[in-house]
Amino acid sequence: MNAFIFLIAAQSAQSDGQIEQIARTFGVDWPHLGAQIISFAIVCAVLYKFAYLPILAMLEQRRQQIGLGIANADKIKAELDKTESQRLEVLAQAHTQGSKFIEEARAAAARVQQEETKKAVAAAEQIMAKAHEAAAQDHDRMLAELKREVGKLVVQATTTVTGKILTAEDQRRLAEETSKQIAA
Amino acid sequence: MKITKKAKREAKQLYRFCLLKGLLDENRARQVVQRVVATGERDCLPILAHFLRLVKLDRARHTATIESTTPLAVDLQKSVQSSLERRYGQGLTTKFAQRPELIGGMRVQVGCDVYDGSVRAGLAALEKSF
Repeated sequence: MNAFIFLIAAQSAQSDGQIEQIARTFGVDWPHLGAQIISFAIVCAVLYKFAYLPILAMLEQRRQQIGLGIANADKIKAELDKTESQRLEVLAQAHTQGSKFIEEARAAAARVQQEETKKAVAAAEQIMAKAHEAAAQDHDRMLAELKREVGKLVVQATTTVTGKILTAEDQRRLAEETSKQIAA
Repeated sequence: MKITKKAKREAKQLYRFCLLKGLLDENRARQVVQRVVATGERDCLPILAHFLRLVKLDRARHTATIESTTPLAVDLQKSVQSSLERRYGQGLTTKFAQRPELIGGMRVQVGCDVYDGSVRAGLAALEKSF
C-alpha cells in the first residue's frame, strides 16, 4: 500500500522535479524499488495461487458443508416432526384399536357369559326334570307297593274271615256257580 | 332207561289196541301187559314203561277231581257229573274230595282243564291284581 502511495506521489512529483528531490531525500532507489515491486507482485501472485485460492476453496467447501449440515439438520428436524406426527398417529390408532379390542372382548365376554348362563339354566332345568321324574317314579313305586301290601292284607283278612262267614247255602251257591260254568 | 322210538311206536300200538270205543279197556290192558311180559323180549321193559305213561295220561284225561270245602249234596254231585259227561263224554271217573283250604266254592280238574270257582282262587286272583 505504501509502495503505491509512493508511486503515485512520484508520478505526480515527476512533473515538477520536486519528486526527484523528495525521492532522494527519502533514499528511494528506483531500480531497487522496481525489483522490490516485481518481487512483491510475484510473492502476491504465488500467495494468491497457492494460499488464497485453496483457502477460499476450503472456505467454500466448509460453507457448503455447513449448508449441507444445516439442510440435513432441517431435513432431520422435518423427519423428526414427521416421525413424531406418525408416532402420535400410530398411538392414536393403537388407542382406537385397543379400545375397539377391549369393546370386542367385553362383548365376547358378555356373549360367553350369556351362553354359559343359558347352559347352566338348561342343565339345572334338566336336573330338576330328572329329579321330578325320579320323585314321580319313587312315588308310583311306593304307591304300587302300598297297594300290593294293602291288597295282601285285605286278602289275608278276607281269607281269615270268609271261611267263618260263609254258610252252607253260600257254599252250595258257589258250587252251583262252578257247575253252571262247566255246563256252559 | 332209554325208550327208543321203536319202543314208543310199539307201546302206542298196544295202547290203541286197548281202546274200546275210544275208552281204555282195563281187561285188555292187563292182558296186553301179561302177554308182553310173557314174550320176554329184550326191550319189553321200555315198551311197558311207555305204555304205562300212556295209560296214566289216559286215566288223567278221563278222571275228574272235584274238590270242595264241605261235602257236596247228592243232587249237586249228580248235576256236576252229568255236566262233565256232557262235556267230556262217557267213561269219565269222578272223584270227590274235601279241601277246607279252598274256603268256599268248588274246584274241578279234568286232565289239564281246571274249573276253579273256589274263594281261594278268587282271592288269589284278587291278590295278583294288586
